[in-house]
Amino acid sequence: MTSPITSRRSFLGLAAASTLGAFGLAACGTSGPAPSGGASGGGGGGTATMWALTGQPAEGIRKNAVEAFNKLGKGTITVTTFQNDPYKAKIRTAIGAGEAPTLIYGWGGGILKSYADADQVEDLTSWIEQTSGFKERFLPSTWGAATLGGKIFAVPIQSTQPVLMYYNKSLFEKAGAQPPTTWDDVMKLVEVFNGQGVAPFSLGGQSKWTSMMWLEYLLDRIGGPDVFDAIFANKADAWSDPAVLESCTKIQDLVKANGFIKGFSSIAADTNADQALLYTGKAAMMLHGSWAYGGMKDANPDFVANGLQVGNFPSVNGGKGDPANIVGNPANYFSISAKATDAEKEVAKAYLTDGLFTDAEVQAWIDAGQMPVAASASDKLAGTADATFLQLVFDLVSRAPNFQQSWDQALSPGQAETLLTNIDQLFLLKLSPEQFATAMNATIGK
Amino acid sequence: MSVLTTDTEAGTGAGPAPAPAAASRPTRLDLLVLPALIFFIAFAFIPMIGVLLLSFTDWDGISAISFAGFASWRQVFTDPGTYHALWLTLALMIVTWLVQTPISLLLGVFVAGHQRYRAALAVLYFLPLLLSSAAVAIAFKSLLDPNFGLAAGLHLPFLAQDWLGDPTLAFVTVVFVIAWQFIPFHTLIYQGGVRQIPVSMYEAAQIDGAGRIRQFFSITIPQLKYTIITSSTLMLVGSLTYFDLIFVLTGGGPGDATRILALDMYITGFKANQMGAASVIALILVVFGLALTLGIQRLGGTDRGASQMEGM
Amino acid sequence: MTTMTVAGRTSATRVKGRHNYLGGLLSWIWLAVIILPIYYVVITTFKNQGDYFSSNPLSLPIPPSFTAYSQVIKADIGLYFMNSVIVTIGTVVPVVLFGFLASYAIVRGNSRLLRYSRWLFLLGLAIPLQATIIPIYLIITKIHMYDSLGALILPSIAFGLPLTVLILSNFLRDVPKELFESMRLDGCTDWQMAWRLAFPLTRPAVVTVGIYNGLNVWNGFLFPLILTQSPDKRVMPLALWAFQGEYSVNIPAVLAAVVLSTVPILVLYVVGRRQLLSGLTAGFGK
Repeated sequence: MTSPITSRRSFLGLAAASTLGAFGLAACGTSGPAPSGGASGGGGGGTATMWALTGQPAEGIRKNAVEAFNKLGKGTITVTTFQNDPYKAKIRTAIGAGEAPTLIYGWGGGILKSYADADQVEDLTSWIEQTSGFKERFLPSTWGAATLGGKIFAVPIQSTQPVLMYYNKSLFEKAGAQPPTTWDDVMKLVEVFNGQGVAPFSLGGQSKWTSMMWLEYLLDRIGGPDVFDAIFANKADAWSDPAVLESCTKIQDLVKANGFIKGFSSIAADTNADQALLYTGKAAMMLHGSWAYGGMKDANPDFVANGLQVGNFPSVNGGKGDPANIVGNPANYFSISAKATDAEKEVAKAYLTDGLFTDAEVQAWIDAGQMPVAASASDKLAGTADATFLQLVFDLVSRAPNFQQSWDQALSPGQAETLLTNIDQLFLLKLSPEQFATAMNATIGK
Repeated sequence: MSVLTTDTEAGTGAGPAPAPAAASRPTRLDLLVLPALIFFIAFAFIPMIGVLLLSFTDWDGISAISFAGFASWRQVFTDPGTYHALWLTLALMIVTWLVQTPISLLLGVFVAGHQRYRAALAVLYFLPLLLSSAAVAIAFKSLLDPNFGLAAGLHLPFLAQDWLGDPTLAFVTVVFVIAWQFIPFHTLIYQGGVRQIPVSMYEAAQIDGAGRIRQFFSITIPQLKYTIITSSTLMLVGSLTYFDLIFVLTGGGPGDATRILALDMYITGFKANQMGAASVIALILVVFGLALTLGIQRLGGTDRGASQMEGM
Repeated sequence: MTTMTVAGRTSATRVKGRHNYLGGLLSWIWLAVIILPIYYVVITTFKNQGDYFSSNPLSLPIPPSFTAYSQVIKADIGLYFMNSVIVTIGTVVPVVLFGFLASYAIVRGNSRLLRYSRWLFLLGLAIPLQATIIPIYLIITKIHMYDSLGALILPSIAFGLPLTVLILSNFLRDVPKELFESMRLDGCTDWQMAWRLAFPLTRPAVVTVGIYNGLNVWNGFLFPLILTQSPDKRVMPLALWAFQGEYSVNIPAVLAAVVLSTVPILVLYVVGRRQLLSGLTAGFGK
């Protein structure tokens, strides 16, 4: 059958046109991620790019801070945001492709070390020394995770994020119970709440690092910080320490006692679904980072104002660890990409000195219920809406004998990934504590 | 006989002056295959070599690439996780085939019938295929939420299992969702195949007294031999490399309950930053795929050169 | 019309007499299985976030709320749609074009190059796309095409070729040699024979592979995941995945994105259904 498009000329013409058109449009993207649509800031300065995470309140505060900076005329910064889990993968491929943003968001520790080893991030030590007063603007305990071999590779930003216990007050009142102070209290409360048809603990198990927080605290309470220090120092068989085995056993006891909400291993923290379970009254307690306070405040301010109580992780009878120790993220960090142009690096540095932790930004963090790592913050707490919470966080952080960095950030990426998978298996009761220790020992030195 | 209406076109032969024929003919045809060849070699074949080469490194994605001998190979083959992924992949392939083929075949036969409502059914059956795997996964993720999803809506507590959180259930769920998305496709293939079976065969069988079931097994299935092979090849090779849907639905979890080979490769490469090991896993995938395709070819006995229209 | 419908009636016209009750029942069950999730997705998009958590998931939203859709539309979904269109057309046209030419050459010729090509494409069928993603990432970054739509198009073309060549060459093989001979006698070159004779005859198969490749590329996820990073280079499946996070617990919005991403294909389906189905069954039924 004949048909119009078999006319060679017209068909080829159509094919050529559409392909060329498509290629033309597609090729428009070949130049690297040039900052598109930057703010209409002052005339001076070059441009730089920044990657960060989605999620309120951080996202909004950062957006305002960057906009304010862009108006200063020292340069224009464009921000791209990603969800937590995808970000961790994306940043790596970007760096590997030579398309890293100028300002790289991170958590310090092992991943930062891998960047530094690959010469992908700037050594900021001398610049910081030379910029008078800069170092003192930040809480002293936060520089640790950014310092590798005596050199500083990142600047602390955002808030300090210890991991805390969150309690639904009305559920406790209904049960006539008190928040736990010891681990035995925890196990008793599990029975109480299960009896009431309420899940004792909410948990976003699918994200795995949420489960990890439990193990971090238990290990610290039972064995003290030395146990993980040995692991971090890659000492052989460090994971076989009795404290590790006891922690794993306790966790599995908690799981077997139905301590966590049904279906926890398919709930993802990225969507804040685990926080929703607490404030909708489906779970009575939750272990989460201090960022959850801000997240819940954003979603359900009434709950946070009236129905929420916060506390430190319970102690464990007979444990060697100081009950005042905390785990979490000392801070978040910005590094500067070593592969950025000099102009971009200048803009980035300008942001770190003039755009970061302005009074407005510090106030914004406090108002959102997050404790910024700026030294100037502690004076501003009084009288703010979340003063109680922030003071609690500040006190915890400043008084803690030891602030253990999240394991998946402290360790190398390869170790971290295996750790997360094994913790997941542990919570699913598919690995015994001994098997967990064996599996993790195999990662020592990787 | 098959009808071609292009006779008139071929007959006129009105065209530009004949080009110098014989001498340039072999070269001409070779030229025609070049664009496809170049693209394929550049973006499929060379990467394959690249995978082989990368498997001998321990690249972490951001440093310089350095030779590491068999280190990555050793890592992968001594890791129980690799064997687990292999086993899962095999299980997925087999279960998928066992679930999808009978259903698609039956549906295809059914829909090929000429009743009007069957055509309408076919239209609706096709809907899942229009969705991307990401869309399907996202939709099912919220659907299967034990607290807020379909189970709660239908008030069937038995449906309110921890579909995506329990390791065994997660595997079953994955099989189900994949089937949901792809049975329509295979139904279509079988429908097409069934439509080609000449009625004369069925009429003859009916005259001989064969019932519907007998007809199905003695006529339909044998006649669908090549269709079954095509569909099965696509299904098996497809499930070997299945990534998108499982990635979005479970991310390989819970634990490693759905961490099939392709996912294992992604996680090893892009989460644990062990590109060398990931390349080794990739090679395993390729070998597996090659063996599978060649195996099915041999089993099916199709000689790709012969036309299937012989004897008609 | 083509070599498709063989002499006389096919099984499509059979079955008069006893109704197939079991078959009917099973088919309705399957219909429910297909429709229920789709129904759930669609009605959820018309609820707002608060209601989603409190109401019965299957209940109809009255009155319907369009917030979810407006949120999604404001979030650049038009851009992602265009990206998907560009990548799909940019891939399908070359795949069909080059694939057809290659198939023609392979079927009609028998030089060594052509024989090796045939085997190469056959083996290519067995190469899983996922396995090559890391080297492709390397190649793309080396030629400075990282984070561009072109980065998605080039490998997609390569991976669409094997099946295309397979199906088209199968089809071409059924074209009787005599037709080509008679055209040759009339003095036509291979190029002319390809376009004037072979192409029209293989049109159903061309439609098939066009659609098959188009769907694969449109729904492709892994390549965009690894090879692009900027939000403005996202294609639809990736955008959906990103939406899932950006909208946190706002399930109605996430599902609205899912619905919107499907609507264009749905429209195409409604408009071109007959073509689509006949094309698909033609190519694969053999």
